[in-house]
Amino acid sequence: MNLLALQIRGELLKLFARKRTYIGFGAFFAIELILLFLLRLDRVERSIRQAIERTGYAADEYLSGLTLALLILLWSVFLLGSLYLALISGDLVSKEVEDGTMRMLLCRPISRFRLLAIKAFSAFVYTVCLVLFIGVTALATGMIYGGAGGMFVFAPLEGIFALYDFGTGLSRYVLAMPLLAASLFTVSALGFCFSCLNMKPAAATILTLSVFFVDMIVKNIPYFESIREWFLTARMGAWIHVFEPRVPWESMVESYAWLFALDVTLLALGWLAFERRDLKS
Amino acid sequence: MSTAIRIAGITKTFRKRVALHPLELEVDHGELFGLLGHNGAGKSTTFGILLGQVHPDGGEAFIDGISVQTNRAQALAHVGAIFEAPAFYEYLSGWQNLKILTACTAIPRKPALEEVVELVGLASRIHDPVRTYSHGMRQRLGLAQALLPNPKVILLDEPTEGLDPEGIREMRLLIQRLRAERGLTVLLASHLLAEVEQLCDRVAILNQGRLVFCGPWKEPANLRVRLDVDDREAAARVLRGLGATLEEGSIASIPAGTDPANVVAALVAADVRVRAFEPVRRSLEDFYLEQIGQ
Repeated sequence: MNLLALQIRGELLKLFARKRTYIGFGAFFAIELILLFLLRLDRVERSIRQAIERTGYAADEYLSGLTLALLILLWSVFLLGSLYLALISGDLVSKEVEDGTMRMLLCRPISRFRLLAIKAFSAFVYTVCLVLFIGVTALATGMIYGGAGGMFVFAPLEGIFALYDFGTGLSRYVLAMPLLAASLFTVSALGFCFSCLNMKPAAATILTLSVFFVDMIVKNIPYFESIREWFLTARMGAWIHVFEPRVPWESMVESYAWLFALDVTLLALGWLAFERRDLKS
Repeated sequence: MSTAIRIAGITKTFRKRVALHPLELEVDHGELFGLLGHNGAGKSTTFGILLGQVHPDGGEAFIDGISVQTNRAQALAHVGAIFEAPAFYEYLSGWQNLKILTACTAIPRKPALEEVVELVGLASRIHDPVRTYSHGMRQRLGLAQALLPNPKVILLDEPTEGLDPEGIREMRLLIQRLRAERGLTVLLASHLLAEVEQLCDRVAILNQGRLVFCGPWKEPANLRVRLDVDDREAAARVLRGLGATLEEGSIASIPAGTDPANVVAALVAADVRVRAFEPVRRSLEDFYLEQIGQ
């Protein structure tokens, strides 16, 4: 194994050896089960059935595991996933500075750039793992309760309404995973950037969440409809468009290019700030 | 002897507080050099600058002739360091911590890791989580990680802080052994002046960011005694006749090789009543306090 791979492995070990990772992942699974339980309540299930039947399709065919999985994913991952990633990424650098382990690392002739690049990459891997975990467990629990069948997609805010057979629905669901991970990495990049500044880990997390929630709230104010595409969460929500019958690839590519540029900018700003810092006990 | 560490005109200000006035310092290869000073004197800032963790406002630090500020990677290639309270990933084992820290710059080799773990006496607990370690064990783990880049220069910032007397002695012996066996250059900052006194060839004393002394510290060769006599002037005359001096207060400095019994006899022969004649040891602590003006 080469040195870079070893360094990344060490960084991932730091992230995955902590109990809070498993507590967090366990909490997501518990939330999925709670959502599934709520979705199976008579009154809730009846309203979903009515929504499907109003389109002229048979509810039994489309109220399936795939539909349940997507609903769980929609309600759990975006908000809670962002919250969790803000917590992890806000800690990435500032916690190590606070604990003194950063000084131990920087006794070595490793550059700050390399150290941060490894951390940023590990944050990306962590984001992907979290999305995959939620995606796979949501699908598994959905399939156990709802079985195989067509997919019903209804996202009124984004203007998406679609019905797919199992194969198409599953392929769209699988395609949504990397897109969702790419969207959520922006939260990690934001947390990472704040974490590189001279502040406590909790402050970095709170700032990240504040930016995220303020952006989401302001984005939904009707007066700002005309500049909606400038909002972070509007761009982050691009992943859901993969469920549109005709996927708007052009606007999605634009959104992800926008997010990529923002991520790179945030990581670079974090690095520049960290590079200038004096690290003292 | 060539220079292992050179600090050339380093200055540093934190906000409006001057942490280091222009500092000039040289440590030779194989030397055990003590850096002394009160809290906030600038010792940790000096260490930080030597490790490239603190950016100086002016000046440059060199290790083996390579500038830390312009070529940090090369300058620190053979440098190990430990701090007052070495921090580790508490939830990982000592072994995992060593692997992570070593992997910053080199692929960790099991035999090298085992060798240093054995050297610092942590072999039996190295696979336990660090959160279960005592302070002394953490210090030893700190020393182990400092030895893993196979250093030529080692920077020790308060390595004995918080250790019990047995731990302090063990650490001192280990430092001496490392220097003897590996020919390490050691820069040691410590509050425990008795330790520095036993270990170091030369010392530098910092006071509020200024270098107030730099050089070899040795107990004076002259015998110093506290003298209590009834006639101070007569005693001074007798002492002058023997090549000795009576300093301010009641301390007499007697040339090396003079038998103290002859001094007492000469005083008595001159009708000077001697009430006390007590050898006084001038420790590094006395010297340090003199230098910082206390």
